[in-house]
Amino acid sequence: MTARKSRPLIALLLAGIALPAAAASFTGKVILPDGKPAFGAMVTVFDASRQVRETVYTAQDGSYAISTPFEGALAVRARLAGLDDATTKVTATKTQRATLNLALKPFADAQSASDALSASAFNARLPWKDVNRDRPGFISQCNYCHQLGNATTRVPRSHEEWMGELAKMEGLLAMPSAREKQVFAEVLSKGFDGKPITANQNYGASAELARAKLVEWNVGDDYTFIHDADVGADQKLYGTDEGHDVLWVLDRATSMIERYPLPESKLPRGGKFSGMKLPIGVFTGKHGPHSMAQTSDGRIWITNALSSTLMSFDPKTKAFKTYPVGHDALYPHTIRVDRHDIVWFTIVASNQIARFDPKTEQMTVIRLPSNGFIRWTSDMLFPTLMRIGSWLPDQAAQLNLSTHRFFGSSILAFPYGIDVNPVDGSIWYAKLYASKIGRIDPVTLKVQEWDTPMKGPRRPRFDAHGIFWIPAFDEGGLMRFDPATQKFESFKIPAVGKGEYETPYALNVDKASGEIWLAANNSDRMLRFDPKTHGFMTYPSPTRVTVLRDFSFTKDGQVCTSSSNLPSYAIEGGRGGFLCLDPAGGEADRKALGVRQ
Amino acid sequence: MTSAASLSTRPLNVTLFAGLLVLAALVMIWLGTMAAGYYVPASALLVEAALLWRGQGRKLFEAVLAVNQAAGLLMILDLWLGDGLGDLKLDISGVLLLANLAFGGPLLSLLALPLLALLRFGQATPAWFARA
Repeated sequence: MTARKSRPLIALLLAGIALPAAAASFTGKVILPDGKPAFGAMVTVFDASRQVRETVYTAQDGSYAISTPFEGALAVRARLAGLDDATTKVTATKTQRATLNLALKPFADAQSASDALSASAFNARLPWKDVNRDRPGFISQCNYCHQLGNATTRVPRSHEEWMGELAKMEGLLAMPSAREKQVFAEVLSKGFDGKPITANQNYGASAELARAKLVEWNVGDDYTFIHDADVGADQKLYGTDEGHDVLWVLDRATSMIERYPLPESKLPRGGKFSGMKLPIGVFTGKHGPHSMAQTSDGRIWITNALSSTLMSFDPKTKAFKTYPVGHDALYPHTIRVDRHDIVWFTIVASNQIARFDPKTEQMTVIRLPSNGFIRWTSDMLFPTLMRIGSWLPDQAAQLNLSTHRFFGSSILAFPYGIDVNPVDGSIWYAKLYASKIGRIDPVTLKVQEWDTPMKGPRRPRFDAHGIFWIPAFDEGGLMRFDPATQKFESFKIPAVGKGEYETPYALNVDKASGEIWLAANNSDRMLRFDPKTHGFMTYPSPTRVTVLRDFSFTKDGQVCTSSSNLPSYAIEGGRGGFLCLDPAGGEADRKALGVRQ
Repeated sequence: MTSAASLSTRPLNVTLFAGLLVLAALVMIWLGTMAAGYYVPASALLVEAALLWRGQGRKLFEAVLAVNQAAGLLMILDLWLGDGLGDLKLDISGVLLLANLAFGGPLLSLLALPLLALLRFGQATPAWFARA
């Protein structure tokens, strides 16, 4: 095994000791500039192709141990908020083990320190005149599918240039009102001035964090957009690439990735949304595969957002089959399967929920309550407006008639996340823009709705006892709803720095432990909430610009998701992909390598 | 009975509805400052207001009202009952929505019914148009 310094400023204490082991393994300590142990630092090993990386977190004594399947010219990096990275390159074989001690240094200058901060540090400093009135709309529309404040999106622009950017986003389905656009452009032009900022961000080191291990796999190219990742019955990871009309399949054991293009569609590029500005962001295809769920026969069901179709994929035969939704449906979204193998999915832009029986292939579309006259008008006319737009592809001409210019995103109810109550089999959904949750009786299809106490309920899930857990995207919170008592309880998600806010996009509940795993997409971290103690625990992401979507669990206790900031090229390293966190993976490596915490 | 010859002053109904048409046009112009497509119904509303105010071009005035109403009603029927039309349904509703907007839009749809009633069953308004 050999090693060399990769950067002159990095103090690297390396002892190259070749010891037999099952994989290329590293142990050692990470220290702070004052020589004290670095607690909660991330030690990441990059494979030779830089497409796969594994990360563990240091214990209170600064120690770490990581066992990888990698070999060849590897890179190792230690990272901790507030300090510059320590990196080195190592040539290793699979069966070698080395001790690598890494010393973190202060940043060389203020700009470097500022560049290392998460988006949340930057957007927390935007100069709102009325933060309570104007920021919720900004969070809703400008943090909707990407970070606003990362290196790609905080580029200094004039008011006029920001108006141009906002018009571009509007052409890609964002819905700020005309007034909001003016306010946002003013705030962004003043707030993102290119000058370095300072922030004290604390990601909360803990002994539990030091037990964890994270694996990340890059997938596709810089326009790949794996919207959702799901763990199949075969324990492989399936990812719907909404950017390229592709289904990706990852074998976690071998890191082998397979690519399955969706069948051709007769629709134009952009599908039913061809009237928007094309491509719609990075959506270069016609189907726009979005979410997945698997029935007991092994078929994986995919919602195609752009073509408004449902699609099945058979992992055995690799065959796809397409089912039109009809009923003026626009943008099929989150999908779940109930205990009778019935497929349910939300249809966000036309305020509907679909029920599909795979046995009879019968599709039933349920129109949800409109929640007011303005939304009723949109429910009636929005599909027609999109059709008018499609007569002039790539022009977004229909925006000149859209009432969102007056009322903003409140013109739509936006049924978004959906889940099945394990207690009674009822179907529950969250309306992102109308801030409501609802229940559908699976037999009578009767609908009942409740207002949520926090705005922006996004992708909720049930726990094993029938408690509905709901992320509140617009208000950085977590809500608990008990269908039996019809009572809500709300929890504010702690930020990593003063004045910062969080954007919890999705969550899932570990049915065994009852713990809730949440996306925290403004500050590059994953959260774990203990419903008994009401405590949040942070798992910082080693990759800057981490935007996570749906979570799913493997049989061996890992929680997996997709890294899918829009666009992928804004993610550190320029790629999105899959990631899995094993809460006990770091501890297992320590035991295997004989390192005590 | 009000005769064309005797109608030298503008009837109250005409003044009232011409004012409402201008008001509706102003609303559409305001909406147009945010979504430019609304300048189209604003223009139609101003034309209708001018025709009514001046008591000229009854056929055109009435035709605009009729097309506005027909397009709106057919669009509602198409959206309500048109699932059997398949993909054509939204093409039809799209054409009808644009027709409704080109011929005055939703605010004229609200004003059209009383205006058509005044023209058909009233005396002063037809007389005002017949005056010239």
